[in-house]
Amino acid sequence: MRPADWAVLAASLIGIVVYGLWKGRGSNTTAKYLLAGKTMPWYAMALSIMATQASAITFISTTGQAYVDGMRFIQMYLGLPIAMVIIAVWIAPRFHESGVYTAYEYLEGRFDARVRALVSAIFLIQRGLAVGVALSAPALVLTVIMGWPASVTTMMMGVVVVGYTVAGGIATVTWTDFVQMLIMTAGLLAALFCAIWLTPVSLGEAMDIAGAAGRLNTAVWTVNWNDRYNILSGLIGGMFLALAYFGCDQSQVQRYLTGRSITQAKLSLLFNAVAKIPMQFMILFTGAMVFVFFTFTKPPVTFNPGVEKRIESTAGYQVMKAEYDAAWEARRAAAAQVPVNAGEFKAAQKRFDAARANAGSLAGVAPGADTNYIFLSFVTKYMPVGIVGLIMAAIFAAAMSTISAEINSLATVSVVDVYKRHMRKEAPDRHYLGAARWATAFWGLYAVVTAQYAAHLGSLIEVVNKVGSLFYGGLIGVFVLAFFVPRATARGAFWGVLTGEAAIFYMWARTDIFFLWFNALGCLVVVAAGYCVSLLERADRPSRA
Amino acid sequence: MSEERPPFGSWRRTYAAVIFYLILLIVLFTLFTWRWNQ
Repeated sequence: MRPADWAVLAASLIGIVVYGLWKGRGSNTTAKYLLAGKTMPWYAMALSIMATQASAITFISTTGQAYVDGMRFIQMYLGLPIAMVIIAVWIAPRFHESGVYTAYEYLEGRFDARVRALVSAIFLIQRGLAVGVALSAPALVLTVIMGWPASVTTMMMGVVVVGYTVAGGIATVTWTDFVQMLIMTAGLLAALFCAIWLTPVSLGEAMDIAGAAGRLNTAVWTVNWNDRYNILSGLIGGMFLALAYFGCDQSQVQRYLTGRSITQAKLSLLFNAVAKIPMQFMILFTGAMVFVFFTFTKPPVTFNPGVEKRIESTAGYQVMKAEYDAAWEARRAAAAQVPVNAGEFKAAQKRFDAARANAGSLAGVAPGADTNYIFLSFVTKYMPVGIVGLIMAAIFAAAMSTISAEINSLATVSVVDVYKRHMRKEAPDRHYLGAARWATAFWGLYAVVTAQYAAHLGSLIEVVNKVGSLFYGGLIGVFVLAFFVPRATARGAFWGVLTGEAAIFYMWARTDIFFLWFNALGCLVVVAAGYCVSLLERADRPSRA
Repeated sequence: MSEERPPFGSWRRTYAAVIFYLILLIVLFTLFTWRWNQ
C-alpha cells in the first residue's frame, strides 16, 4: 500500500465513523438505541440489510472461490428472492404489528417464555460463533499486507466497530451500513474493471478462456444431493437459508424492525430480492476474471505467502517448481487456441491444477487452501495506486457493517430476551439503555477474542455458512410452527426445536449431506415433531379435564 | 408516486414481478453457461 492508498482508506474509515455517529446522535432511549425509534426509510434499511449480509468474507473468499471452483456459488442465492417475498408477505408484517424488539420476543406471545428462551439461546450461540469469523477475515488482509499479527489487527478493527456501535446504537449501525454499502459497490466495480483492464485479451476472449476452464458455470442443472451448488439446491436450500437468515436471525430482523412503516420495511426486503444476485454475480465474475489474468501473468505456486516460504524450503521444491513453470507455460500457450481448441486448454488446465496441488502437498496443505488469499494477492500486487486503498476500504466496510450488526443484535437479544425478561424485569428505561451499551461492548470484546481462533479454519465463507446451517433449521422450523401451524402448542414448539436440532447434528456428524440442505431438512423435522407433540398434547387434554 | 404505495401499483403485482425477475435470471444464467462455459 502506498501513501495515496492509505489516504483513501483512512478518509473512508473516518468518514464512515463520523457520518454514522452524527446520524445516530440522540439515541437516548432503548427504543431509539435498539430500533432507531422506528424512523428509518426503506433505502437506508435496504442497504443496511445488504451490507450486513456482505461481509469481508464475501469479498475475500467468494472471489477466490470463483477462481478455483467457478461461478456456480451464485446459485446459492437463487432462493433469496423467493424468501424475501415470503418474509414480506407473512413474516415482516407480524413482527411490525406486534411491536417487538426481537424476533424471539414474538415467540413468547405465540407460545411461551420457555420457547422464547430456547430460541434466544440458539441465536446467541450461533451468532456468537459466527461473529469471530467475520472479524478474523479482514485481520487476515492486514496480516498479509503489513505483516502485523492477527491479534493486533482484530483488536484495531474491533475497537473502531465496537466504539461506534456502543456510542450510537442501531441508528449509527444502519447509517454506517448505508455508506459502507456505497463504498463496497465502488470498490467492487473498481476491482471488476481493473481485472478486465489488466487482462491482455478482450473481454470476449477472457470469457472464452474462463468458460473453457469451467469458471463460468452459473447454472448447473444436474441434481446430486451431495453436490454443493446446483439450481435445485440453490432454489430450495438457498431459500431456506435466506428465510432463516432474513426472517429469523435477529442480526437481519432488527434492520427492518427500524422501518417507519411496514411498507418501508417491505420495500427494503424487495430491494434485496432484486439487487443481491447481480451484486454476487459481479463479485464472482471478478474472481473469474482474476483467473484469466493469472493465465497470462504467472501466479505464485500458492497465494498464501507463509505457505509459499515453507514450500520453498522443502527438498522437492526445485523439481516441483520446474513442473509448475512448464505447466503454466503450456496453459498460457493453450489459452491462445481458445475457443477453437478448447480441449488442449482444458488438458493444460488439468496439468496446471495437478502442479498446484503438488506444490500444496509439499507443505502439507490441501489444494484450494489458499482460496482466501487469491483476491488480496491480486489487488495488492497488480492494482493501480488509489484503487488498492479503495478496495481495502471496501473490505473494511464490509467487515465493519457485518460485525456492527451482529454485536448490536447479540446485545439486543441479551438485554431484551434474557436480562429484561429473566433477570431484572422492572427498571427505568435508562437502566436498560445502559445495559444495552454494556452488552454491546461485551459482545464486541467476545468477537475480538474468538477471532483469534477463527483464522485457522478453511475457506471462511463455508465456515460461516456451516455454523449457520447447524442452527438455522431449528430457528426456521419454530417460526413456521408459529406462523403457519395454528394447532402448534408451546410444548410442541419446544420439543420440535430440540428434535430438529438433534437431527441436524446427526446429519452433520454421520452423513455426507451437503450443509445447505440442513436448513430445509431440519425445518421439516421441527415442524413434523412439533406438530405431532402438539396433536398428542391436544388429544391428552380433554381426557384429563 | 406516494412513498407508501407498492412499486407496481399493488403488492400482488410487485411480488409477481420479483418472481418473474428470478425466472428471467435463471434463464439468463442457463444461457450464459451454455454459451461460455464450454
